[in-house]
Amino acid sequence: MKLLYALAQKKQKGKWQLNLLKLLLVVIVLVCLYTFLYLQHDATLTNLGERLQDSSWEHPLGTDHLGRDVLTRLLLGGQQTIGYSLFALLAALLVGIPIGLISGYKGGVVDRIFMRIADGFLAFPDTIVAIVLSGLLGPGIGNLMLAIVLVKWVNYARLVRSTVMIESKKDYILAARTNGLSSFSIIKKHMIPHIVGNVLVMASLDLGKIILLISSLSYIGLGAQPPVPEWGTMLNDSKSHFQSHPELMIYPGLAIVLVVLITNMLGDYWRDRFDVKKEMQG
Amino acid sequence: MILSIEQLNVSTKEKQLVHNVSLSVRKGEWFALVGQSGSGKSVLSQAIGQMLPANLKANGTIQFMDQNMLTLDRKQMKDIRGKRISYIFQNYHGSFTPFRTIAQHFQEYQKAHGISSKEKRKENAIEALESVGLDASFYKRYAFQLSGGQLQRVSIALALMLSPELVIADEITTALDSVSSHKILQLLAQKQKDTGCAILFITHDWRHVRRYADRLAVMKDGQIIETGGKHRILDHPRHEYTRQLIKAAPILSSGLRSGLEEEKKHEPTFS
Repeated sequence: MKLLYALAQKKQKGKWQLNLLKLLLVVIVLVCLYTFLYLQHDATLTNLGERLQDSSWEHPLGTDHLGRDVLTRLLLGGQQTIGYSLFALLAALLVGIPIGLISGYKGGVVDRIFMRIADGFLAFPDTIVAIVLSGLLGPGIGNLMLAIVLVKWVNYARLVRSTVMIESKKDYILAARTNGLSSFSIIKKHMIPHIVGNVLVMASLDLGKIILLISSLSYIGLGAQPPVPEWGTMLNDSKSHFQSHPELMIYPGLAIVLVVLITNMLGDYWRDRFDVKKEMQG
Repeated sequence: MILSIEQLNVSTKEKQLVHNVSLSVRKGEWFALVGQSGSGKSVLSQAIGQMLPANLKANGTIQFMDQNMLTLDRKQMKDIRGKRISYIFQNYHGSFTPFRTIAQHFQEYQKAHGISSKEKRKENAIEALESVGLDASFYKRYAFQLSGGQLQRVSIALALMLSPELVIADEITTALDSVSSHKILQLLAQKQKDTGCAILFITHDWRHVRRYADRLAVMKDGQIIETGGKHRILDHPRHEYTRQLIKAAPILSSGLRSGLEEEKKHEPTFS
């Protein structure tokens, strides 16, 4: 973090916004974690005697069409949705960043090969890839995540590559080389800090997109499979009861909106923070 | 002989940038490489440390001490760069990684050459800074907090810290004002006296050549057209191009172009 602050030494304007966002995200994560430790209800245990109940002390958000506690499922679903999204994002970063670094630093043939592969992946929209993969390998959250990684790594590889290409032409990289540093330590110490900001911004904006993607594909039945309490799956489960019990769709819908909003705002905030041009102007 | 380059060619796929260049730098001398922009001076200097961009290929021999630089592998080059041959560049702001302190630069370069004690590295660094007239307070600073002259001093300190046999100074004063550049060159000359390193000094400024160089080579379109002692070339240039170059340079004093008389009156002080 020290590096990040050194990169963007900027007035602490609007810091409360960031803190508010961080706080919200932390609260959501904590609440989801708390559920894991203290479960009152089984999220997958059906109890048809208690189906479609309204809010009560026993079930704060009521029960769904199979008598499962909605709050429990919502919180566990948070673990699923956010957890899977983070995992997919992390995997995409782990694939994309090294490829971008190698591609940008080495240049030449290596770069051309990687970038043509990337172009190939870029040609397919993420939803299509996910649907095709589900068709080939069968629906499931694992295949969905594979699809997300396949689609998303390209963006990071290209972003990192372009930054590295610009930076590696600069004199300080030349100076570091003339002083006998190895390529590895040049990349580690002199390049990575440059890309951290950009990648962080892109990743936090992407997190929202991935959550939406997982939820929407689960909604059409290609992601998490029932009875797993995933937000998209919950939406799907309750759509036949929408007329009589709209709140069953509203709760997971709201949860998705909230988390996506937070990640987007966080991304926007970081983008402003790392925006050097804006910093120069004001 | 510290460095001797023989029949060096540097070319891209389409174009040859350096043609059949041969020159030699003796131990402890100040060798100036003079020429217009685009004459291939910098490419030549980069070829010495195998610092050429991937699209440029060098062939010929570059003999440094007893090794042919063009045949060395990566690991051997890494050991030579910074320790036995070091570079100082024109762009002093660009030579330092913006988010790293002067201290980190010093630490890292020493670590790369096997000085393992952190305390020792710090001691060396502060000593090096003090030897170029900067106090220890500069150690913790970032490059953007220093002025051009100060940064170029730090560059010199960095370049000389591990006592290299050869320092390649590529237009190091071009981006400085004349007072600062004079001070920097005086410092460099002083350090050369102290350490006995050879300097390959790339420039287009005749005033600096006249004042500091021992020998020089004139480069044009990738070829060396004249080599020799300073006084011989400045006072009796053989080649028409050299004559034109010297003529084009501003002269502020009377006496010989090489400054022989002037130097008698105003012996430069290196103290």
